[in-house]
Amino acid sequence: MTEIFSTLFGQTDAQAPQGSTALGFGPGKPPPPLPQTQSSVPAQIPPQHGDEGPPVRKPGVMNEPFYLLRELPVGNDLTGNTNLITHYNLEHAYNKFCGKKVKEKLSNFLPELPGMIDCPGVQDGSSLRSLIEKPPVCGNSFSPLTGALLTGFRLHTGPLPEQYRLMHIQPPKKKSKHKHRHHRPQDPMPPETPSDSDPKKKKKKRDDDPERKKKKKDKKKKKNRHSPDHPGITGTQPNSNSLR
Amino acid sequence: MAEKFDNLEEHLEKFIENIRQMGIIVSDFQPSSQTGLNQKLNFMITGLQDIEKCRQQLHDIHVPLEAFEYIDQGRNPQLYTKECLERALAKNEQVKGKIDTITKFKSLLITELGKVFPEEMAKYKAIHGDDPPS
Repeated sequence: MTEIFSTLFGQTDAQAPQGSTALGFGPGKPPPPLPQTQSSVPAQIPPQHGDEGPPVRKPGVMNEPFYLLRELPVGNDLTGNTNLITHYNLEHAYNKFCGKKVKEKLSNFLPELPGMIDCPGVQDGSSLRSLIEKPPVCGNSFSPLTGALLTGFRLHTGPLPEQYRLMHIQPPKKKSKHKHRHHRPQDPMPPETPSDSDPKKKKKKRDDDPERKKKKKDKKKKKNRHSPDHPGITGTQPNSNSLR
Repeated sequence: MAEKFDNLEEHLEKFIENIRQMGIIVSDFQPSSQTGLNQKLNFMITGLQDIEKCRQQLHDIHVPLEAFEYIDQGRNPQLYTKECLERALAKNEQVKGKIDTITKFKSLLITELGKVFPEEMAKYKAIHGDDPPS
């Protein structure tokens, strides 16, 4: 057995490196000691013919007493050791966003924006993502509408059809301790009156008001139809609000 | 910088208010409202022109797409900023912990190697010099 091992590992120099690389191990014997002339001088690539610059120190493997000893990397001044929030003067921002409780809904960020903005944009096709994926046609200049173009915006009298009425529903306004009332002209939904202090009353009134309005309008229409004095509305559906 | 945003915000608020008023007019249209509606339509176009002018001042402003996802979900985009800051701080602390641990390990290793291989460590220190405390 020892003869087999000696034949394997005690082979000629040409074959020994092959064997070592095939097995994946380094040389079994320690490297021979370097000649004294080289050990005191750092490893240098001998200048080739035609090179005029100073000899370059190889940053990789160096023929030092320590194999694969490399130069230390240049240290960065800014590392994870530093508090980066302080470094970039973000303390105020951090206290503002993380110190206090940030409200969840979009309507808290944009309280003056009308409509139901807390619903996901995917539901009604108003998402910003869809705007990025399918950008609208741009490049044309905006020019005001002339008289001929404005004829396309002539509307029939009367309320909107029911299928379009939901677009104007406002979300229920929260109670505020400081009663700042922003007076807006003629909202389609009934605005809060000073008497509507209880949430139950508000809800009931809101639920009843559109229904009441519908009933009143229906009654009016019926009266108008049956009254002899009614001028008679032009031809088609009187209550449709479609464009001509 | 803030003036550019204030300018745009003002134009957007006016535009939205104009659209809202148009919605009120249209919700229960009367023949006498036609001229008002036409006026509002032209206000809408001038509003778009004003917003278009603001665009040139803000061409260098970049908004992260992740903030858009918050808006599309009906959530406050300030939550995105909050989460960014929290994640940055957490990562900062994590990396600082790693640096501290590895620094301690290095000093322990050098100490122990100095006990076992004093000559080699002396040569190593001669090459690299005394490592500065990190």
